Amino acid sequence: MNEQTPQMVPVDPDSDEPLRPYNQGLTPLHPPQKNLIRINMIIRALILLALGLAAEILLQVQLGTTPGMVLIPVALFALMLVLALPGRIYRRWGYDMGDEQLRVLRGFLWRTDTIVPFNRIQHIDVAQGPLQRAFGLSTLIVHTAGTHNSIVTLPGLATADAEAMRETIKGHIRQDMI
Amino acid sequence: MNELPASPLPDNSAPFQRLHPLSIILKSLGTLGQNLFAILVLHFSLFDRNIFYTGLAAVALVALVVGVTALIWSRFTYQVTAKEIRIKSGLLNRNNRSIPFDRIQDVSLEQKLVSRLLGLATVALETGSGGGDDGKLDALSRTDAEALRDTIRDYKDGLKPSDAGAAEHSDRGETPPLFAMDNRRIFIAGLFNFSFVLLAILGAVAQNLDFLLPDGFFDPRNWLDALPGRETIDGFSSWARVGGALAAILSLVVVGLVSGIVRTFVREYGFRLDKVDSGQAGFRRRRGLFTLTDMVMPIHRVQAAILQTGPVRARFGWYHLKFTSLAGDASGETDHSAAPCATLAEIDPILEDCAIHQAAADLAFQPVHPAFWWRRAILALLALTTIALTAGLFLHPGFFAILLLVVPLGFIPYLNWRHHQYALTASQLFVRAGWWWRRLAIVPLRKIQTVDVSQSPLDHPLDLATLTIGIAGGSTIRPVIIQDIGFAQAMDLRQQLIEAIGQNRLPGHA
Repeated sequence: MNEQTPQMVPVDPDSDEPLRPYNQGLTPLHPPQKNLIRINMIIRALILLALGLAAEILLQVQLGTTPGMVLIPVALFALMLVLALPGRIYRRWGYDMGDEQLRVLRGFLWRTDTIVPFNRIQHIDVAQGPLQRAFGLSTLIVHTAGTHNSIVTLPGLATADAEAMRETIKGHIRQDMI
Repeated sequence: MNELPASPLPDNSAPFQRLHPLSIILKSLGTLGQNLFAILVLHFSLFDRNIFYTGLAAVALVALVVGVTALIWSRFTYQVTAKEIRIKSGLLNRNNRSIPFDRIQDVSLEQKLVSRLLGLATVALETGSGGGDDGKLDALSRTDAEALRDTIRDYKDGLKPSDAGAAEHSDRGETPPLFAMDNRRIFIAGLFNFSFVLLAILGAVAQNLDFLLPDGFFDPRNWLDALPGRETIDGFSSWARVGGALAAILSLVVVGLVSGIVRTFVREYGFRLDKVDSGQAGFRRRRGLFTLTDMVMPIHRVQAAILQTGPVRARFGWYHLKFTSLAGDASGETDHSAAPCATLAEIDPILEDCAIHQAAADLAFQPVHPAFWWRRAILALLALTTIALTAGLFLHPGFFAILLLVVPLGFIPYLNWRHHQYALTASQLFVRAGWWWRRLAIVPLRKIQTVDVSQSPLDHPLDLATLTIGIAGGSTIRPVIIQDIGFAQAMDLRQQLIEAIGQNRLPGHA
């Protein structure tokens, strides 16, 4: 475990946030990941807007509702998706390559903090989608033998970093753990 | 696989073998049994009860089924080499599968009633690769099946199968069992195996045979109309009605008890757990009344031990010991049942064999945060209030009685909280959970795969967290989980677990 990770700092009830920063001082994801999240959010927002528009028209024709009753809240929500969320989601991701283990922290409301010891990893994937390729990003996926949470995914790494991490972990994989 | 530079036997020397010819009959019988019903339906519908046509159709069906089964049989071959088993199968799409002995988690021999009459046994090889049988030889002669099982069991890197086989046959069957259950014990186990399966089966039968029943049999309105005048029932005194209700409940209880006992007898009859020492040390479990199963599981495959009991069972000191391994039990359970109904004194030696230790009497278990129960109780109260208000205001005031459910729904989480505890020793993690279905998971730290700390939105204000221990195998629905402990406590506990994993990382130790 890296000594500088402040995860063991006692929780001070008065000043909770400064002691536990968003990603607990772990390595943040590669910055372009934020834009990728935003693009994904824009796609979602557009789908949402299209659905909202359809509902709006349908309701207006069928029930004669006031214009904007559906569309305005939907648009506000879509705006929040695009403007407010990507930064928050990005900030709350974090990972840490220790000497013996990989730690992955994710989520804002539903937070999960996973530690995978390297010697428990069965195999590793480095995956890249078309959008990720445009940003030079890759996803590192490690598989353990466990049944619960046997696949740990870490998106938004620079491709070179992901490949370096894969090489590091590869050295620790052992045969026949189970 | 890469530890052994060269195998003493050339890999392809062994001949390809077929399954036992009698397995054609065995499989045909199974398929015919499934189609018997169709023939019956045809007899009554299309053939208009003409026995000649039905007979003709039956003969055609038998010929077709036996023919196809024989064809499949002729295209199914397997080869046992020094390090792996290869199975070639398929009529049109040929499938060539090889299973290294290294990767086989457990081997089980299964003999259904018909196979016992024919002297056959089905070999099922589990590798734990997600779902289903990974290798199934259906069926070999009993002796061949046992020989194959012994070959796989005795396989160890650098050890020729013949070496181990010779030493092993002398002590077969003579050693006293590690654990066995007589009929009295199976009866006790059955008493606690209360189930409504029989009722469900009766219901399912009624559902499937509903063409024999009059139309609208399941429509309660028809029943209300058909009852011989509601006055008859209204005429009874209230005591008679209470008595009738009690009798109905009692008969349900009896059905539940009887079906539990019958089910337990069918499954556990002649239960016997042995330790096998030849080759890889392992457990061998034999059980079954009609379908005999004979499973061998190497000890080092055991990932965790689970002790299950219930409030009544615990009072009598009965526990159900299960082992978690990467592969599920062949009978469809997630964990391997090692002692369905045993006292702690009987369980101890079994656990010692796989280097798992019971909790010491002075081991202090830590409770989880009381929010575990009051949060659930508040949520239940909120949900019930909403339901009661909506239903009570809009439908019928009687629905306000739903609020009374708050008492059990609040009390049960409290009991569950009392029974949710954990303890950490130098080499093991103990997690207790559940009041009605009591479950103590004993996880050797060296078997832990991942550790998660997670927080739900409700956890943030209280700064609580849930710790999930990932082990290889076991139920995805009920993983080893410590719920609702303080965040700092969870992080601290995880740190200790991870450090212990690091320390145990000695060669050959994991």
